[in-house]
Amino acid sequence: MTHTPEFETPNLSWSFRRAWLIGQNAFREAIRMKFFAALMVLALAAFASSFVFREFNFGASELKFIADFGFGGLSLFGSILTVILTVQLFLGEIEHRTALTLLAKPVRRSEYTLGKYIGAMIAIACFVASLTLALALALWIRETQLIAESPDLFPEGRVMRYGDILMFGVMHMLRLGVLSALVVLFCTYATSTMFAMLMGFLVWIGGQLQHVATEAWVASGTVVSKLGYAFVSLLLPNFHLFDIGDKIALGEAIALSGYAKAMIYGLLYASFYLTVSFISFSKREL
Amino acid sequence: MANAIEIAGLTKDFPVAVKGKRLRAVDDLSLSVGEGEVYGLLGPNGSGKSTTIKALLGLLKPTKGSCSVFGSPCSEVSTRLMLGYLPEAPYFPRFMSGLELVIYFGELCGLKKSEAEERGTELLEELGLAGAREQRIGTYSKGMLQRLGMAQALVGDPKVVILDEPTAGVDPIGARDIGQIILRQKEMGKTVLLCSHLLSHVESLCDRVAILNRGKLMTEGRVEDLLSDGDASGLLIEGLSEEKRVRLIAEVESNGGRVSKRSKSLSDLFMEQLK
Repeated sequence: MTHTPEFETPNLSWSFRRAWLIGQNAFREAIRMKFFAALMVLALAAFASSFVFREFNFGASELKFIADFGFGGLSLFGSILTVILTVQLFLGEIEHRTALTLLAKPVRRSEYTLGKYIGAMIAIACFVASLTLALALALWIRETQLIAESPDLFPEGRVMRYGDILMFGVMHMLRLGVLSALVVLFCTYATSTMFAMLMGFLVWIGGQLQHVATEAWVASGTVVSKLGYAFVSLLLPNFHLFDIGDKIALGEAIALSGYAKAMIYGLLYASFYLTVSFISFSKREL
Repeated sequence: MANAIEIAGLTKDFPVAVKGKRLRAVDDLSLSVGEGEVYGLLGPNGSGKSTTIKALLGLLKPTKGSCSVFGSPCSEVSTRLMLGYLPEAPYFPRFMSGLELVIYFGELCGLKKSEAEERGTELLEELGLAGAREQRIGTYSKGMLQRLGMAQALVGDPKVVILDEPTAGVDPIGARDIGQIILRQKEMGKTVLLCSHLLSHVESLCDRVAILNRGKLMTEGRVEDLLSDGDASGLLIEGLSEEKRVRLIAEVESNGGRVSKRSKSLSDLFMEQLK
């Protein structure tokens, strides 16, 4: 069969604008999810409950207890939100076949993938920022009350370092950014939301224990086990690296280099997972 | 006439649950659609229509063969600048308004926001959705969703429009309106690939049709040619009284001719091909 092409198709270069457009809409969709609002309310309620349960805290200072409780809540609810939201935004659109209409437009698979990631990350950032500010505010109010009630317990004024609490939020967001990128990767080949969510939660747990694999890698004797542990510890991100909650609660100073190292580590891992996602999704048939 | 769509030896196999087995959804399909034509792609469920469309949109990679639009391979993202697509039973984000959705898709097609808004407003008006353009999509009826789907397919001013069951779930008036929109696209020089089970609709709109069954091309050609049974002496006679009609039939039969009670429709042809 022969034909005469009449039209010159323009060379369509990769466009961040298209990814951003998809991201903006993904964010709008995310914040309208009932699940998002429910989790936000639940997390705030959990923070508020720390004021009630402080009476059961034996020995530890009240502010430390509230901070610990808040960091724990942020980690727990943030990870749940990240896994479910990323899966819903990515796979939900494929299941509803909205993705067909979208990808029938001049949109690259990598632009679509990045757009969904951007949308998820903006929503996660809003969630973490709101809860971090709520936690900082709760601590500030309680600290103000305690200083007024017992000024002798605070001879040098305020003890909480609020800048560090905000940095906890930033580091936690980075950690969830790595998790979200991993979940996007699972979504690019998963056909069921359950599978993608399960994998997301498994890597969240695995990433918390990654340092165990790293220690085994160092301590391992045989070449095979050394290679095996090395593979696992390099493939899985070390989520523990982003956890500065304990240091803040204990009042330990955190070096700027520590933040910088964790940020570079997080950005590298998220970029790696996203790059693999682009390749994986470009091969997927819809 | 240059070919707007060219499909050459398209074959698509899908893996099935049984190891080593594959399902052939499209089997060595070759067809071409000329520029400015309205082309009907017909076939029962599972005949390979949707797979063919997905291959044209670059959503599936052919196992064998190739597809191109105005000579540009369908695997290229830039080819989709020339394509507009209305999926079967379109589903759109419920929180957006109709106009927001069309602007969004227009921007994805490379239009500036102001251009997309202007074009979207025009299209929604043309499609009878002007009054509902600020309304949330969640409140749209099935017919309105279908029209909105048409609007998003046309917003990028594509040269080729692919419509998968555009009248599904639409009432007869809505179906007629969609038919008029398709004819308007033809007048504007656009090429339309139409998949529909509403055969009377296809018959009245399409210049050419192809009938697929189990992934294979059963027949293809101009609607008039396919519907004529090859007997050039066949006549359609109208406007006679009952008495004259009976006399005419008797006269024809006494001279060795035959009279069929009605002409063959596309529906008859479709059923014949699937036997």
